Amino acid sequence: MPGGGCCPDCGSTELVEDSHYSQSQLVCSDCGCVVTEGTLTTTFSDEGNLREVTYSRSTGENEQVSRSQQRGLRRVRDLCRVLQLPATFEDTAIAYYQQAYRHPGIRAARLQKKEVLVGCCVLITCRQHNWPLTMGTICTLLYADLDVFSGTYMQLVKLLGLDVPSLCLADLVKTYCSSFKLFQVSPSVPAKYVEDKEKMLSRTLQLVELADETWLVTGRHPLPVITAATFLAWQSLQPSDRLTCSLARFCKLANVDLPYPASSRLQELLAVLLQMAEQLAWLQVLKLDKRSVVKHIDDLLQHRHMLVRKAFRDGTAELESQKREPQGQEQRQGKEEAGSSSLDLSERKRPPSPALLLPPCMLKPPKRVCPPPSVSTVTGDENISDSEIEQYLRTPQEVRDFQRAQAAAQAATNVPNPP
Amino acid sequence: DDLTPLGSPPLSPYDVYIPNPFNPETVFSSHLEVQQTPGDFSSVDLSFLPDELTHENKDQTVTRSENEVEENCNSRSQPSGEPLPSEQDVSLGFTSNSLSNSLAHLHWGHANSLQLSPEKSNTLPLTSITPMTPVTPVSECSGIVPQLQNIVSTVNLACKLDLKKIALHAKNAEYNPKRFAAVIMRIREPRTTALIFSSGKMVCTGAKSEEQSRLAARKYARVVQKLGFPARFLDFKIQNMVASCDVRFSIRLEGLVLTHQQFCSYEPELFPGLIYRMVKPRIVLLIFVSGKVVLTGAKERSEIYEAFENIYPILR
Repeated sequence: MPGGGCCPDCGSTELVEDSHYSQSQLVCSDCGCVVTEGTLTTTFSDEGNLREVTYSRSTGENEQVSRSQQRGLRRVRDLCRVLQLPATFEDTAIAYYQQAYRHPGIRAARLQKKEVLVGCCVLITCRQHNWPLTMGTICTLLYADLDVFSGTYMQLVKLLGLDVPSLCLADLVKTYCSSFKLFQVSPSVPAKYVEDKEKMLSRTLQLVELADETWLVTGRHPLPVITAATFLAWQSLQPSDRLTCSLARFCKLANVDLPYPASSRLQELLAVLLQMAEQLAWLQVLKLDKRSVVKHIDDLLQHRHMLVRKAFRDGTAELESQKREPQGQEQRQGKEEAGSSSLDLSERKRPPSPALLLPPCMLKPPKRVCPPPSVSTVTGDENISDSEIEQYLRTPQEVRDFQRAQAAAQAATNVPNPP
Repeated sequence: DDLTPLGSPPLSPYDVYIPNPFNPETVFSSHLEVQQTPGDFSSVDLSFLPDELTHENKDQTVTRSENEVEENCNSRSQPSGEPLPSEQDVSLGFTSNSLSNSLAHLHWGHANSLQLSPEKSNTLPLTSITPMTPVTPVSECSGIVPQLQNIVSTVNLACKLDLKKIALHAKNAEYNPKRFAAVIMRIREPRTTALIFSSGKMVCTGAKSEEQSRLAARKYARVVQKLGFPARFLDFKIQNMVASCDVRFSIRLEGLVLTHQQFCSYEPELFPGLIYRMVKPRIVLLIFVSGKVVLTGAKERSEIYEAFENIYPILR
């Protein structure tokens, strides 16, 4: 062993560098005494023995920071590296974590919450830089519960008084679609299922925009809508080969998890496309259904702005006019009757009347009719009759019975189980 | 779930929408109806109304208010912050008598800071007004009243309570000390639930109005009294009021969060509704895409109504 090292025990200069697992040690080859060991040294003795000491461990900057906070900051850095975020994001996320740690509520929180806090800081950083990262991704990476995550996230935003922009849908579409493993032939993906990335991306974007315009995105988790749109885009690019493939199988092929609401989003999107198709003369005659409309998505998307305008009427105005103008309703009914008679005459020559452009929750009939609120004439100072109060009290006999029953129940739980 | 098309002839998108016409006559007739309620609106000047629309028996109020306003004009110098308008500032944010008094006061507060010329022309003043504050025409005032759904109140019974004894002697009580350190008691009329603590403090929830909450709390106190404790009824206070209503149109939550970013929190990944934290009054509103609005955090009924009237123009 080169250098000026002597074994403190036997004074031999034969020091060998040996590693015990990951800990490097200097061992005297004569007597076997361990001269230096990983953490059991000082910087001085380390450097005396020609062991390198890193800057962060020698300056004492971490002695101001508690071990728990150090651990959290390390986790933030690790998470940023796993997600392959740019270097500037790391610094911002670290700053947020330190800022949050100054608050006593966070300092005293459980480890589970501090772990989730790491994810929250990274998420806020990404959102502020318009980097499309979903909470689901972070929860998967941290093995965290979405409920715990949501509570900590809302608390953190309020605590730090931050303005967090919304998730950018277009960027999310790009990153999410790129994660679908459909762009190269592989053992699981036959050639007819392989698709060009750019074509699929652009069509998916158009379908997502259409969904946004027709109220399918507001108030809902964005990811299932994108899954449904990606599926439709992929199918429509080669319908003859791909119509037989189901949504679940598609996600399996592409090696992507199928979010549960995606199938209902798919149905909603297909319904919108069918509505639009009825406005195109050459598609009207084909009497499309949810499977055959996929073949014509190309045409529908090309004219989507015009079709949406024609196919849907403003649902908001419709509801308001219904509320305020009862005579208007009769007027419309009159028009409908006239329309239906002319409908018999001109057998489907006109496109059908526009449907309401409303979120699906407003189109479904209400589950239960809310009773009109009854006017209460309670003053709060009425007399309270004794009989009314006594109905809530047990008679002495009932009390005795109850006590006996309780004792019996206690005795039953205390008796050990028979072998 | 298909959208079945109606069998009516194709209507252009603008046919169906019949806007509530901004009819000055309806404004003034309702304005005059409001005047029927005595006392509240006596400080309002009516001199901007064209003569033919004022009733004969309103002349007194008109002259009275004119005098008042003239006094105001003479005695008052520039109102703080607002430039003296050459024409009237009218806040027409009222329609029906169902608006609460405090709400009406809010709107008529604007009218007080008027600089007027009593010898106004007979032309319809609405066409000649340049409002300082945004005029809310009749068609934009909501006319919707939020319904109270839940009231949480607390009261101090001012005596130490034996929770085991209460749970034993009361039929409507449940007590599981391992789960929660209070007795949970329920009564049928008004349908409410109370948490009764051993310190003598009680929380009453589930009532639909302030009076019902107070009555329910008194009933619980009476039950505790009948069980042999010297319960009193001190410091009854309403802690929280929750109300809900329906604006009847769909709302673009993403748009709302862009225009009011500092108040809104919209995370569709977590919750389908938008959380709007209003500063004045300090109320939290949950706004959903279907147009349903939930208001919470109020200590007074007027705060709920004020918050809703504040949010309604923002949602439109």
